[in-house]
Amino acid sequence: MTYRPKKIVEAWEYNKQWDEWARQGNWSPVGWRWVEGPKGYRLDQLSTANYLVIQRPHASVYHHSYGMTSRFFKGLIEKKLYGAKCPKCGAIYCPPRAHCWNPECRLQETEWVELPLRGEVHTFSVMAFSATPFLKTLPFIIAYVRVEGCCTTVPTRLMKINPWDVYPGLKVNINFVEHPKGDIMDIYCTPAETPDPSKRMMTQEQIERLKNDMQKVKEWVVRKFGSEAKPSIEI
Amino acid sequence: MSNRVAVVGGGISRFDNPRYELHEELCAEAVKEMLADNPNIDYPKDIDAVIYSYFSDHLAGQLCFHWIIHDYLGLLPKPAYRVESGGATPVDALINAYMYIKSGIFKNVLVVGWEKMSELDTPKVNEFIAAASDTDWDFPVGGYYTGYYAVLETRHMHLYGETEEDLAKIAVKNHNNATFNPYAQWRSQHGTAFITVDDVFKSRLISWPYRAYNCAMISDGAACMLLASEETAKKFTDSPVWITGIGLGTDTMRPGDRVDNPMYKGLYPEDETVYPGVSTKTAAPYPEMANFGSIRTSGDMAYKMAGIDNPVKQLDFAELFNPYDGVELTEYEDLRFCKRGEGKTLVREGVTEWGGELPCQISGAHTAAGHPVGATSIAQATQIYWQLTEQTANKWKTTARALSGAQRALLQGHGGTGCQSGVIIFERG
Repeated sequence: MTYRPKKIVEAWEYNKQWDEWARQGNWSPVGWRWVEGPKGYRLDQLSTANYLVIQRPHASVYHHSYGMTSRFFKGLIEKKLYGAKCPKCGAIYCPPRAHCWNPECRLQETEWVELPLRGEVHTFSVMAFSATPFLKTLPFIIAYVRVEGCCTTVPTRLMKINPWDVYPGLKVNINFVEHPKGDIMDIYCTPAETPDPSKRMMTQEQIERLKNDMQKVKEWVVRKFGSEAKPSIEI
Repeated sequence: MSNRVAVVGGGISRFDNPRYELHEELCAEAVKEMLADNPNIDYPKDIDAVIYSYFSDHLAGQLCFHWIIHDYLGLLPKPAYRVESGGATPVDALINAYMYIKSGIFKNVLVVGWEKMSELDTPKVNEFIAAASDTDWDFPVGGYYTGYYAVLETRHMHLYGETEEDLAKIAVKNHNNATFNPYAQWRSQHGTAFITVDDVFKSRLISWPYRAYNCAMISDGAACMLLASEETAKKFTDSPVWITGIGLGTDTMRPGDRVDNPMYKGLYPEDETVYPGVSTKTAAPYPEMANFGSIRTSGDMAYKMAGIDNPVKQLDFAELFNPYDGVELTEYEDLRFCKRGEGKTLVREGVTEWGGELPCQISGAHTAAGHPVGATSIAQATQIYWQLTEQTANKWKTTARALSGAQRALLQGHGGTGCQSGVIIFERG
């Protein structure tokens, strides 16, 4: 154990098997292939060569402290949304910063305030592909939401809405997941108003194309992950 | 004493996925090409120092990779270090070399850049690239770079009304340029047939509004460039290309922090006045989450140094950082090729196409030539060098994309979601 706290006040202890699983990815080959491939620095000057390709896994468990923004993430576990308010200029940050970045405030330390569970979509995207950890939940919507009164926007998942109904300015509610774990995925947004079709960013033709895309992504996720697939967009 | 800085050579080892050769072998190929083209370089004697450029330790599972490259290239015990700033890594490496020479400490500085991204599957590559975003905030919600740039482009579309078709036109331009480039990954994987807007729409959706053909490729490859002081440049070549301007700029790590950013508020008032009524004006209307303030800042610095006040007239062509097509459109505005909101007009009028007033991405760049991060901007710089010295026709074995008489070009590169940007102005001697 590399991370030694002075005192553990409260904990959700991680399954120590993770240490073993991380050790299993130990940089040692678990397979190899002898392949034939091209050799050469330009496409018009290629020859053929053989290459040995090994498979070598690696994994780690990070013991990560949220530092002075820990109150925010502990708040998520308690199902409360906090922002950081600068006592000098009054700016409220969510995502919080422990020191105000306003040039006049000379890195003044901020104070915690509880925030309303309301906000507005500033911008968004419909994800049809993702990094490894999130593939099972494709397709999904990410929205950067300005929580009421804040001067920054928070990346969140936007649920219970058709992707073509989302637009900047849409009012949303902020919700907590049933079992928070202590990261930003503990909150998600849902529409707080009936979306106005006149504000859509897509034409009917684009919507049809997107529906088709969503269907294809869903089929791909189900094919790849079977019962573990949890697509976030219902068509 | 004059202390101008010249480009005296460059080399590329083609971009593809996968390249089975080792990282150091790719680098050796790029350097070898440069040496073959420039017999006047007494190698390694003429190299005073080296700046190495690669982005990710994770992609190769190897830290301090430049130590491997450095001895492989036979350059011990010469001074060397690595520069790392995400996608800005290669442009920053070139700027570092420029400043090295400007300082007077070294006369000839070699820059070598590479990346091998093929060792991991595509979702994992995206995960490791996303490690260059805020991993407490943007990454855990399912964020990755296509997604981040997509939300920025959605915002720009919302404010200024460009369409998916405008983005597709940029993709068509760049892919079709790349079909002539013998170092391009697109050409290796898809051949030399031109693509159409419809082909872009048929390609797989990645993050709306971006489809596969709008996105940077995952690539292996390497590139190098030799910079020299004015005093030593004439030994290497009769036709040096001069660096007449450099610029650097920065913006927030988290794109979501840009809406009211007090550090940008009021900095570019001309762009705040063209903020449309479609949305509530943020406290920092430029760049907020629609444009790239770091690119504006770096461009302005370089223009000032090079004496450029009308980029479209004074530049002959540009190689921009275009991981996603909306970025190129937005850069037209941030680099003052047009007013804010008019990027789409440049696309529709074909200004940046081959044959247009200011061709951009003649190489094909990130989405079509390929994007081995640490090499990309160095390869683009090398392509600029070949255009300005009229070697492209010989290098590409075609005149289809070879300029004649071009005097001045711009290279722009950035990292993150525009968290850090660099610009270099190249001029023919």
